[in-house]
This record gives sequence, structure tokens and C-alpha cells, in this order.
Amino acid sequence: MASLQLSNLSKSFNQTKVLEGLNLMVPEGEFIALIGPSGCGKSTLLRIIAGLDEPTSGDVLLDGQWVNELSPRERKVAMVFQSYALYPHMTVFENIGFNLKISKIPRQEIRQRVTQTAAILDLEELLERKPSQLSGGQRQRVAMGRAIVRNPNLFLFDEPLSNLDAKLRVQMRDEIKKLHKAIKTTSIYVTHDQVEAMTLADRIVILNDGVIQQIGTPQQLYNTPVNPFVAGFIGSPSMNFLNGKWEDDHKTAIILKDGTKLPAPVPKSNTHFDASTQNDILIGMRPEHLHLRPAMSEDIQVKGVLDHIEPTGAQNYLKVRVDGQIITATDLQQSQLQSQQPIELAIAHKNLHFFANTAHE
Amino acid sequence: MQNVKRSAHTPKTQTLARLAKLNFLAFGIVITIFPFVWVALMGTHTRSEIFSSPPPFYIGDNFIDNYYKLLEIMPFWLVLWNSLFISVMGTIGAVFFCSLCAYGFFAFEFRGKNIIFTLMIASMMVPPALLLIPFFLTVQFLGILDTHFALWFPAIANAFGIFLVRQYMVTAISKDLLDAAKVDGASHLRIFLVIVLPLIKPVLATLGIVMFIGLWNNFLSPLIVLSSPDKFVLTLALRSVQSLGDSPWGAVMLGTFLSMLPLLIAFLFFSKQIMAGLTAGAVKG
Ligand SMILES: Nc1ncnc2c1ncn2[C@@H]1O[C@H](COP(=O)(O)OP(=O)(O)OP(=O)(O)O)[C@@H](O)[C@H]1O
Ligand SMILES: [Mg+2]
Repeated sequence: MASLQLSNLSKSFNQTKVLEGLNLMVPEGEFIALIGPSGCGKSTLLRIIAGLDEPTSGDVLLDGQWVNELSPRERKVAMVFQSYALYPHMTVFENIGFNLKISKIPRQEIRQRVTQTAAILDLEELLERKPSQLSGGQRQRVAMGRAIVRNPNLFLFDEPLSNLDAKLRVQMRDEIKKLHKAIKTTSIYVTHDQVEAMTLADRIVILNDGVIQQIGTPQQLYNTPVNPFVAGFIGSPSMNFLNGKWEDDHKTAIILKDGTKLPAPVPKSNTHFDASTQNDILIGMRPEHLHLRPAMSEDIQVKGVLDHIEPTGAQNYLKVRVDGQIITATDLQQSQLQSQQPIELAIAHKNLHFFANTAHE
Repeated sequence: MQNVKRSAHTPKTQTLARLAKLNFLAFGIVITIFPFVWVALMGTHTRSEIFSSPPPFYIGDNFIDNYYKLLEIMPFWLVLWNSLFISVMGTIGAVFFCSLCAYGFFAFEFRGKNIIFTLMIASMMVPPALLLIPFFLTVQFLGILDTHFALWFPAIANAFGIFLVRQYMVTAISKDLLDAAKVDGASHLRIFLVIVLPLIKPVLATLGIVMFIGLWNNFLSPLIVLSSPDKFVLTLALRSVQSLGDSPWGAVMLGTFLSMLPLLIAFLFFSKQIMAGLTAGAVKG
């Protein structure tokens, strides 16, 4: 087990900058989820941590030791690849035991450790099979087994569940959670499934275009996103955004394009928002915070026209036209509503998010 | 599709079509096999029988005499051993070192890699005949004229083999596999030996057969390199006795037939792998 520190890490392929100035401190035993849209550099970062790629600049430290020039073997990291990357000509047993064999561990101990790992992952019956004789989920578990049979400093998971069906994914997610509880190895877990990240991780790192957007616990990211990207990325369905401007120089109220007036931000929930410098403002509202009822005290009223309803079974998503754009609201009561009928939505003032609108600058 | 076709044809036309196909195949087999059978048959006749008319298309009774005549005109078994030695050494060396080199091109990124690879491919386009004189001069310069070493050693590094193996690696091995092995702590040599080699067996078999046949049938380089008769290889020895005014054709044909046997046997054993190697990639895309 080890702590991991990335300091000012950058990576370019030829002229293309893929990672820029990453700083991250992961204490021993922490489970970090790394999420971000496709192509934002997650795999690249993982490969740099593993020692498969070299950073263009910046440092990687394991347990405070500078490891930039160490090979994956010397770093003692275990990695689960997105593509499984099982050795096709070896049996499951040999696949899981390959590292132990290379490390010259006695045959007896290899057998014991592989069997133990197989028991955790429910692979005991399959030890003599080749990867081609396994289902996707079983291959996935073998790939996991290859990592956890070792005693690595660090676990690196690259979207390990992305190829599984929904049910198996949930099951494996629980398995990983249990495993981390039991062995507490420092882990970096790449995914683009935010539910996976939220349920597994102690802290989440959100990456976009090679830049870290925010680092925090799932609650912090949900409650106090620092920018519209994080706000829109975390939460499902994603946050609604409306454009607004200060009503006047006193900055006591914000006016939407259609004239709706909102009171100024509550300072507590918006420490990152410097109200004095911006005139263009984005107001963020999570669908689950928009309620289909008249405004009470502490509430903000949002008026619109119902465009259509998206039923999901447990709840309906109301698509409401407000201020010339469509926003989503969650309707737990599944009310009977007519398309085009006027709708009154209410949201608690404390649930509003304010961001500087930097998009059109 | 097939079912539809079947119902569209009467059984009679179907049998006819099958018969035609079988005939065609049989014809192909006869054409291919005839020279071998003919050589084998001639090996059992005397010289005058061979030149009689009509030619004797049956097993003759001069086999034993031909055999002794063959041993008289050349040290046949020594020459066969020479051929075998050169072919086996060259084949093993080429299979190992070509795949090692191909691994270098496959697994490493280095400056000028594409240029080197392209140059290597381009070298395959030089007609072999053009290389004979430089080859001779090089061999002479190195002082290895009239040695077997000069025949099998240069064959070890060959552009065709490297190209063939590398192309196969690209289709058969994912880079993630190499990375996984690195993370598992394997050195490059171990990755090559334990991960890569087992996965490219089909192409190794193909390359092995191609190399073996090439070295076995090679005539030009032994001709310019070898001068002492006890170092001769089969192609050379069999050719050299034909220049006699009164060539003992029965013995020569027997020697020729015997020299084909190792290839036949090798092919019987490895035909499956050869097919697998030559058609691999066709399905994988
Ligand atoms: N070897 C390479 N050469 C050039 N560009 C590369 C290379 N590897 C990755 N890239 C580029 O770097 C960027 C980040 O790639 P990366 O694989 O890290 O994305 P990712 O976040 O893992 O995406 P995904 O979620 O789709 O797996 C991409 O734009 C990709 O095209
Ligand atoms: Mg990736």
C-alpha cells in the first residue's frame, strides 16, 4: 500500500496536449474515482501512473518517492485493463498466477493464493479454462483476480465494468466495494459512469480536456459544484441551466431573459462564485429540486409551459419550456398533466446554483 | 442459400455438376503428382530403359543397381546430411531471429522506425540475381568461402520473415496484452518468450516451412560458395553429375526422388499449420 502524489503533471502527444498541470494527493488506502467524458485523458493518466507512459513534465510520487523513471514492475502497481487483456493461451489459473510466478514465489504459495482469489471472485470452477471459453463477466473477474492476487502498492482500474450488462455491473460494483473494505489498498478507478463513481469512491476527481475540474467527496460534488461542467456532469438527469443578468448595480436580484426575477445568491452555497466581477450569470437547478407546487417561503417560483412528459416508471420527467429553453423537473407524484398547459415549479432558494457564465467570452 | 439452390436443381444435374468438379480436381492432382511419380519410376530403370520408346511407365528392377551407382558418383548420404544441416540451422535461426526483430518493430516506438521498416521492405524488391556477386565478394572477404556457415547464417536475417511475422503480430496481439504483462512484472525477453511466441505459432510454422523449402531447394548460392565435393548440398551434387557426358540418369533420378522425401514428410506433418498460417488474418481482418 502506498500514497500517491501527482504534481504538475502534463502530457502531450506531439503537439496535442492531453493532460495539463495535474495536481493530486491520494493518501494511503483511499479509493479515488476518476471520471470525465470520453477522450479527456483518463486512460492516459492511468498509464502514466502505472509507468506505461512517461509524462511530458511533472512528477509522480509513490509514498513520497519520485518514481518517474521506474518501470511498472518496480512501482508494484496492479492494473485492470478496459479490454481485460487476458493472456489467451494461458488458463485462468496461469493468468491469475502469472505475476506470482514471475516474482519467484514458491509453487505451493502460488496455488494457495490463486485458489483464495478465485474463491473471492467465484471462479473456482473455471481455473482450468482458457479465456476464450469464458463469458464477458467471467473474463472481467479473471482480470480483477489478476490484480487482487498480488499485494500491490496501488490498484488502477480502467473502466473495468464498462463491458458488462447492467445487472452484472451492479454485482461487480458491490464486489469491488467489499474488496476494498477488506484489503484497503489505495485505488484509482476510472469510469464514465457517475453512479459507479459516487457509490464506490471516497473522493471523486472530475477531469475535462485534461484539466482537473474539481476534487471532492460525492456529496461535495453534488452540493457545491465549482463550475457548470461539474454541475452538469454530476447528477442524473443533469442540472438545468438558465441565463441571467444582475438586475442593477446593487446586485440584489438576477433577471432572466423573460423577466423573471430571482433573489441574489445565498453566500453559503456559493463560496466559489465571485458575484462582484460577473454580469453574465448561469443559474443551475437540479431536476430533483424542482417541485410541481406553488412557491412557499424560501422558494423561488419558476413558470413555464409543459412541453412533454418522459415517464420512467418510478417517476416522470417533466420537460418544461422556460425562458425559451427546455428544462427538466422530476415529478415523483406522476401527476396527470396536459401538454402545453402552464406549469408552476418551485425550488428552494438554497438549492439554486450560481455560476459565472464564461461561455460567450 | 444452399437449400434454395438444391431445390432449384434436379438431382441429375446436381450429380453431373459434382462429377465435373471431381474430374477437375482429379485432373489437377494428376498434373501435380505426375512429375514426382515419374521421377520415382525412372529411379528404378537403367539409362537405356529410360530412353527407350515408349518410356517405361512401370516399376523397373534396377533400383538396387541405381542405388549403388548413386553412392559411387557422389557421397549421397553425406550430401543429404549437408542439405539437412544447412536447412535446419537456417530455418531455426530465421524463425527465432525474424520473430525477435519483428517484436522490436511491433512493441517499441523509436525514432526512424517507419523509415527502417520501409527500407527493409524495399530490400525485398531487389532481384536475387543482382545480389549474387556482392554476396560472393562478401563471403570471400569474410573468408568463409566453401563453408556451410556462409549458406545458412545469412539466411537468418531476412526481410520477408520479419515482415511476415510483424504483420501477423499486429493482427494477433493487442498492445494491451504487452502492457498487462509489463504491469505483471515481465521483462521484454520474458514477454517475447512466454506471451508473444506462443501466440504467433501459426506464422512461425509458415515461416519455418517457407524457409526450409527455400534453403533445401537453394542452388545458386551453394554453386558460388561451395567448391569441395564433400561439402556439396543435394541440388549441387545432383546437378554436378549431370554434366558428365554419359549421365547415369537412373541413379540421378533416384537421388532426386530421395531428396524430395524430407520435404514431403515435413509437409505431411505440418500441412495443418501451414494452412493456418497462410490463411490467418484473412478471417481476423
Ligand atoms: N498514443 C497516442 N498518440 C496520440 N494521441 C493519443 C494517444 N493516446 C491517446 N491519445 C489522445 O489523448 C486523448 C486522451 O485519450 P485517453 O485514452 O486518455 O482518453 P480517455 O479519457 O481514456 O477516453 P475514454 O473514456 O474514451 O477511454 C484522446 O484525445 C486521444 O486521442
Ligand atoms: Mg480510456
